[in-house]
Amino acid sequence: MMRRFVADLHVHTLLSPCAAVEMTPRNIVWQAVDHKIDIIAITDHNACDNVPAALEAAKGTTVTVLLGMEVESREEVHLLVLFDKMRQMKEWELFTKAHMSGRLNDAARFGAQFIVDADDNFIAEKNELLLSSLTAGVAEISAQVKRLGGICIASHIDRPVYSIISQLGFIPPDVELAAVEVSRHMNAQDASVRIPAIGDLPVITASDAHVMEDFINGPKTAFYLEQPTVGEIRQALLSQNLRRVVV
Amino acid sequence: MTVEELITLLPLTVVSGQSKLGHEITGGYVSDLLSNVMGQACAGNVWVTMQGHQNIVAVASLTGLAAVIIAGGVKLDKDAAGKAESEEIVILSTLLSSFEITGRLYQLGIAGK
Repeated sequence: MMRRFVADLHVHTLLSPCAAVEMTPRNIVWQAVDHKIDIIAITDHNACDNVPAALEAAKGTTVTVLLGMEVESREEVHLLVLFDKMRQMKEWELFTKAHMSGRLNDAARFGAQFIVDADDNFIAEKNELLLSSLTAGVAEISAQVKRLGGICIASHIDRPVYSIISQLGFIPPDVELAAVEVSRHMNAQDASVRIPAIGDLPVITASDAHVMEDFINGPKTAFYLEQPTVGEIRQALLSQNLRRVVV
Repeated sequence: MTVEELITLLPLTVVSGQSKLGHEITGGYVSDLLSNVMGQACAGNVWVTMQGHQNIVAVASLTGLAAVIIAGGVKLDKDAAGKAESEEIVILSTLLSSFEITGRLYQLGIAGK
């Protein structure tokens, strides 16, 4: 049976150097339960090390965690990538590792990058500089995500930086996007009028939370699905099989 | 000054648009944000960028640029070269940084306008 799921497909944990330490997977899941957020995607910059902790923390709760990452392309375009299976995510992680800059993080300048478990225990600090572009371009990234069975959503396309439109002027036809995301600064319903470059692409909105208050109060997108999976979200974005998206 | 004269004066390699080197240069612009270039660059400008994405070809065509200079030794993306050639867009490359090539353009009298 089809039901309405409130989703936030863009949430950073404390692995992202720009996110607050309160953004532990456990805290995020607990807040999601309290605030009736049904689906969250953990989307740290160029890394997915805190996804397992979020999956573990969500066990036995009403919250579904989707496997995600916010990737930065060679052109400094941010893209959300989402997968259903850990096997796909692991494959994707290999691709990102092969395309990292090789620079190390300077925690004093950029912030620390913490990996934790489902009980908020410190596991490790990630050394690679995550706030950096991969050596792969947007088209290559989107093709690889498609090959692995995931979906790509262009992040905060209304923003003047790190957006596919700010960097590339318009959305190239060879980039396989399931949707575009607008930030909390733009009403998603106005987006395709205010940004004609969106064309016919579906529009979603998400919190892009780096602190808990933004996660709780930031914008969300509702999906009508049978199951809270990336595969069904893809169908909803295409308005297929009675699945649909409401912004 | 024409694009052809420019490439005799600076360390520039022609990547595409060999047949269109006779265009007169009206000024210059530097940016890696393509939406900004579309809004700010003028027809006949040379544009200095470190983007190698194929969208630079469309932006150059849309804006009517005399040439695009890809700085810092960045390579034009694979698909972009064919597109630039078929649309007869002049793309030049240099190993010099954006700062250095822009400074040399300015010394030659090419200003921002």
